[in-house]
Amino acid sequence: MKTMSLRERKIRRIAYWYVLPALLFFILLNAYPLLNVLWDSFHFKNLLNKSLNGFAGIDNYKEVFANEYFWSSLRNTLIWTILSVTGEYILGLISAVALNQNVRGRTFFRALVIVPWVVPIVVAGLTWDWMLSPDYGIINYWLTSMGIIDKPYYWLGEMNTALLTITFVNIWRSFPFFTITLLAGLQSVSRDVLEAAAIDGAGVRTRFFKIVLPQLKTVSLTIIFVHIIWTAINFDFIWIMSEGGPLHSSETLPIMIYRYAMQEYNFGNASALASLMLGFMLSAFIIYYFYTSRKNRA
Amino acid sequence: MLKSKNKLSFVLATVMVLALLAGCGSNDTKGNVTSSNANKKSDKVVTIDFWSALDPSSEEGRTITKLVKEFDESRDDIDVKLQVISYDIMHDKLVAAFNAGDAPDISWGLAEWFGEFNKFDTLLDLTDYFNSWEEKDKFYGNVIDSLTIDGKLKALPNYLGIRALLYHEDTLKKAGYDAPPATWDELIAMGPVIKEKTGQEAYGIAGAGVRSPQELIMYLAQKDLVLAEQMSDGKYKNTWQDNPDQLTKAAEVFQFYQDLLSTGTIKSDAKTWGWEEEDQNFALDQYAMVVDGSWIETYGAEHPDEMADVKIAAPPYSDKAATFMEIAPLYMYKTKIDKTDATWEFAKFLLGAEYQSAVNLNEAPRTDVVSDSQWGKDFTALADSGVVFPSVSLGSITTAMQDALAKGMLKNDKPEDVAKWLSQAINDSLKKTDELSAD
Repeated sequence: MKTMSLRERKIRRIAYWYVLPALLFFILLNAYPLLNVLWDSFHFKNLLNKSLNGFAGIDNYKEVFANEYFWSSLRNTLIWTILSVTGEYILGLISAVALNQNVRGRTFFRALVIVPWVVPIVVAGLTWDWMLSPDYGIINYWLTSMGIIDKPYYWLGEMNTALLTITFVNIWRSFPFFTITLLAGLQSVSRDVLEAAAIDGAGVRTRFFKIVLPQLKTVSLTIIFVHIIWTAINFDFIWIMSEGGPLHSSETLPIMIYRYAMQEYNFGNASALASLMLGFMLSAFIIYYFYTSRKNRA
Repeated sequence: MLKSKNKLSFVLATVMVLALLAGCGSNDTKGNVTSSNANKKSDKVVTIDFWSALDPSSEEGRTITKLVKEFDESRDDIDVKLQVISYDIMHDKLVAAFNAGDAPDISWGLAEWFGEFNKFDTLLDLTDYFNSWEEKDKFYGNVIDSLTIDGKLKALPNYLGIRALLYHEDTLKKAGYDAPPATWDELIAMGPVIKEKTGQEAYGIAGAGVRSPQELIMYLAQKDLVLAEQMSDGKYKNTWQDNPDQLTKAAEVFQFYQDLLSTGTIKSDAKTWGWEEEDQNFALDQYAMVVDGSWIETYGAEHPDEMADVKIAAPPYSDKAATFMEIAPLYMYKTKIDKTDATWEFAKFLLGAEYQSAVNLNEAPRTDVVSDSQWGKDFTALADSGVVFPSVSLGSITTAMQDALAKGMLKNDKPEDVAKWLSQAINDSLKKTDELSAD
């Protein structure tokens, strides 16, 4: 076994000191709150009813499952996350491929495509809210002018369209992130390989699906995973545009957690739901991890 | 060399850790001697943290800022730190501040927060201060009563938001009516006629958002119903399910909402309108009538032509006349260092005739500050029939009220089922907050 020299040991000691602030940050801002949430989820903690306190067992979890809107919120979270990330990926990939072509004004379009992503969520949400208004919104004006709909429609005010409308706006706002990341990935695809494949008779579709797409696999998986997490836990877009309504039809689990915590002050229930959500996310990623590990071994 | 590098690293890391810890620390300057306005103030100055939801871009906001500054400069012993926080985020910031032990000394607030804040045990008992004030008789009795819990005055009235029926007189005349409806039945009968003759809907409601429970409580009061009745044990209960007559009346309220929709008296979209759509569309003369507050007058500056024909009347009623009276309170909080005397001095200034005349002429809680315009006297004339929310924690109750309206108007559930559901939801909420009566 190789022993460390005095110099190496000193360097390592210095490294520990540099790591210390990050470690403290992690403990104070991540580990402690997370453990606290888990702890609270098994305790009665209602700021409006301090007479009820102490260990709650799984009562908080039972109350969350019994909530009239829990299952619909879970379903909404899945719809919101899956549709958003799928839409963002497809739109991001199409736009990245388009912007990777050698066309005039490419730099201008590359700069233009980033605009939705740099608009603050509050501004984007309120602007779309106004644009979708049935009374004065430009969207309804266009749709009625083109004869697509007979009369203005309250996209955010009807139960069957509110969530889908917000999902659409979310896709619009987030796809540029996919575009830029995938564009960077596309630029690393070897032109020599593509030209060789073309010479060997591979068509455009074959080259895209057999050469380009596999080379984008790593970057695609990374941004998809990151966006699944970001989208599933997103609170602000939905809150700004509909507050989860009408009648909870666009309510996702983070909105429900907020209601428990900041409207009912029931931090026991809020912590139980937050822990459940963490459990759902972890389960999904663990299942995926084992699935890909097994596939790779095979 | 390496040793000095080690030391440097240690110092750097220590600085970073200290900076981190300092960042996590509270910024508590309360009770300290402040150095602001040092040339004018005496050595011992009490700093009052005042959170206000004023709109800095409005004339009213500028007036408030100016008056507070004048008060600040007139007092050597008090320094007022005004912080502008919109109502949208004020509530959550206050709750966070209570839990961090860092509440402001005084703040604006909404009536809906009163029960919650009282349960948090964060409100000061102002009874003795108010009773010893020579101007206490200048305030409406029912307003002060509504801010009193168990004989203790727990908040002060900042301004009143009494609701009245506002109507576009020209629109009604065009439809052949000389006067607005006095009852629900008259309103429902007028709806299709106004639509046919003017092309506009007759009425506007807020079907969602913070205003919808305020309108619902008014219609319930017009059926002589309350959300939660105080029982003999001092706790509260919704009694509709125990009393078939009350349940029938509550169902009639939801039937009224459904009738407004089915007869085209309100626009279909109004079932999920918030206060913005309700106010804006009325100010733009898009529909004929709405029950709203005197703040609508401010739209006159932007839309003078559309607002020129607006008149005021009592809201249409069913069994008895009633309107919602929003009492926007001034909350004074318990803080680490007792500054109640100084804060009370500032509160008296905010409640005084001079401030109220300059800022809340149409909405003053004082009997001696009433505007002669229709936006003043016509609204304050309805003060006696004003109803307020019960002094219980309202967080889940107002959400349940919005859900009940959505069940009735979006899902078209039976009014009886909606009434039963709301009654149960109110009692479930009271149970969770330990406010449900066992009676």
